[in-house]
Amino acid sequence: MPGFLSGPVCLTVVCFLSWSLRSSCAQILADEVSDVQYGRLGSNVTLACGKSKIRIPVVWRLNQSSALPWHKVTSDGALLLLNVSHSAQGNYSCYDSDGFLLHVVKLMLGHPPGLLSISCQVPNHTHVRCSWVESVKTFLPSMYNASFRGNGQEWTPCIVDVIHRHCDVHQPAFWLTIHTLRITQTNGLNSETTFAQFSLHKLLKPDPPESLSVQEIAGYPKRLNVSWNFPSSWPIHDAFPLKFQIRYKPQGSVYWSEISSEVSSATIYDALAGHLHQVQVRARDEVNIDSQWSEWSALLLARPWSAYTTPDPEEDLPNNVFPFSSKPETFTTKPHNVVPEDEGNLGLVILLVLFSVVILTTVLSLIFVVWVRQKQRDHVTKQELASMVKMKSMPI
Amino acid sequence: MKLLLDSSSSLLFSLLLAQLPVFTSGSPVPQRRPTDMDKLSNQTKNLMKLTQELLRDHAFDSDVEPHRFRSLPEMSNRSANDLNNLELKPTLSQLHTDLKLYEHHFEWLNKVSKKHHHPAVPKLVEMIREIKSLINLLHRQMLKVEAPRVTPATPSLPPHLPYHFDVLQSSHELLQHFKLFCDWAYRAFISLKPKVTVTAVQ
Repeated sequence: MPGFLSGPVCLTVVCFLSWSLRSSCAQILADEVSDVQYGRLGSNVTLACGKSKIRIPVVWRLNQSSALPWHKVTSDGALLLLNVSHSAQGNYSCYDSDGFLLHVVKLMLGHPPGLLSISCQVPNHTHVRCSWVESVKTFLPSMYNASFRGNGQEWTPCIVDVIHRHCDVHQPAFWLTIHTLRITQTNGLNSETTFAQFSLHKLLKPDPPESLSVQEIAGYPKRLNVSWNFPSSWPIHDAFPLKFQIRYKPQGSVYWSEISSEVSSATIYDALAGHLHQVQVRARDEVNIDSQWSEWSALLLARPWSAYTTPDPEEDLPNNVFPFSSKPETFTTKPHNVVPEDEGNLGLVILLVLFSVVILTTVLSLIFVVWVRQKQRDHVTKQELASMVKMKSMPI
Repeated sequence: MKLLLDSSSSLLFSLLLAQLPVFTSGSPVPQRRPTDMDKLSNQTKNLMKLTQELLRDHAFDSDVEPHRFRSLPEMSNRSANDLNNLELKPTLSQLHTDLKLYEHHFEWLNKVSKKHHHPAVPKLVEMIREIKSLINLLHRQMLKVEAPRVTPATPSLPPHLPYHFDVLQSSHELLQHFKLFCDWAYRAFISLKPKVTVTAVQ
């Protein structure tokens, strides 16, 4: 009787246990696979069927399918995948001969990290942003750890943005000769550290000037007033002066004219009357001659003031058939202290005429004075002679 | 006749007087006299130019890991933010001390360059003269604002440079450092300019 009783009880327990095991393993499959194994593409990868010694034979499945890539099952139940390719990636599960799930593992395939190609942007003296590109496509998720230092300094963290693959340093010790960035890339297969050395003062490149505006000047058909704002990333402080270069050309011309400025405005004095002009501006640190010019700002079109509102027929010419300027016309002028050409010339002529009149009058007056003095002297001499003659004729 | 003479003389005088506004209006923009701080910043810019020329002509075009000079002015603790909050007197004193240190280093470099008959010697002599001139200008400004003068510690200089290459390397290293120092000093002088005006008004 006890044997009879114990038989069905045991059977029930075994059935319950196998049911509960099945349901728990199904739960594992439905959820995220916790065990991840990484393998190198093109190599042989061994997947063990759990940690403990497993009775053989075992059955392996990939993504619940019995179709497996080129493989062997070893004597201890491990799956040896040969010369793996991307198609071998997925969730592997092993079962015992009774169909019980024993182990699940996610296989991810890729390459170990290689050296990174690093470049840094320095838009001002307070911020450095370094970005990188992998020289080897790893196909695996990576972690990056970046540090930065100037020569003779301790390493400080460079704050990493994994998605955009860049890191930022704020308030670096800018006035040092050499700076070094160290980035360690780690993935499931290995880690690799890349060092990059550079000089911040040579990388300094402001962002382009902003809010470019070009205005006509009423009454002046050859002038354009250009103004802009400092790049918003550039500190507005006496210690960080910028210099600017403005280039312009009539639309359709191939030759740019250039002027420079140290303030955020300039006047073009030699625009082509009645024509649409393209204008751009760029900036550079005024002190550091090793620094770089910013990119040019976006093109802006403007026409100088015109007395007539009827459109100029020449304006309808296509852009590439510009009828003027067959020679390069690039020159540089400073907008400061430039005397407006029309009034300046007129004023200069008046000034010269006045000056000539004054000089002429002065010379004439001097001649007159000298003549008068000479006359007076002659007169005095004659008087003296007469008195001497008189005196001689007087009896002693 | 005397009356005529007198009147002609006064006419001449009036004409000369009339010329005065003509001559004065000859220069359209009245020239502002440079302040002492302008002189300091201009002289610093001049030194930057000289340094650049020396680097271009007498050094090699690569950034070397510095190792020779241990007692150059410390630049690792100076950031762009510091330039926003400079105090007049301590900054002038610090710049004076730094310049004295550079003067010592350049004199040393000049001495070793002479030994090796380096062609940069005339330019180095000019550089030392210009540094001295900047130090004197700065000292005058320090006296005006009563900034204390700090004596720099004696620099530890490399004892012996056996090869011409060593001279080149040292020259490159020192010039690179000095160029960056001048960049910082120039920015410091233009930042301090309004503060000197305020001090002068008080």
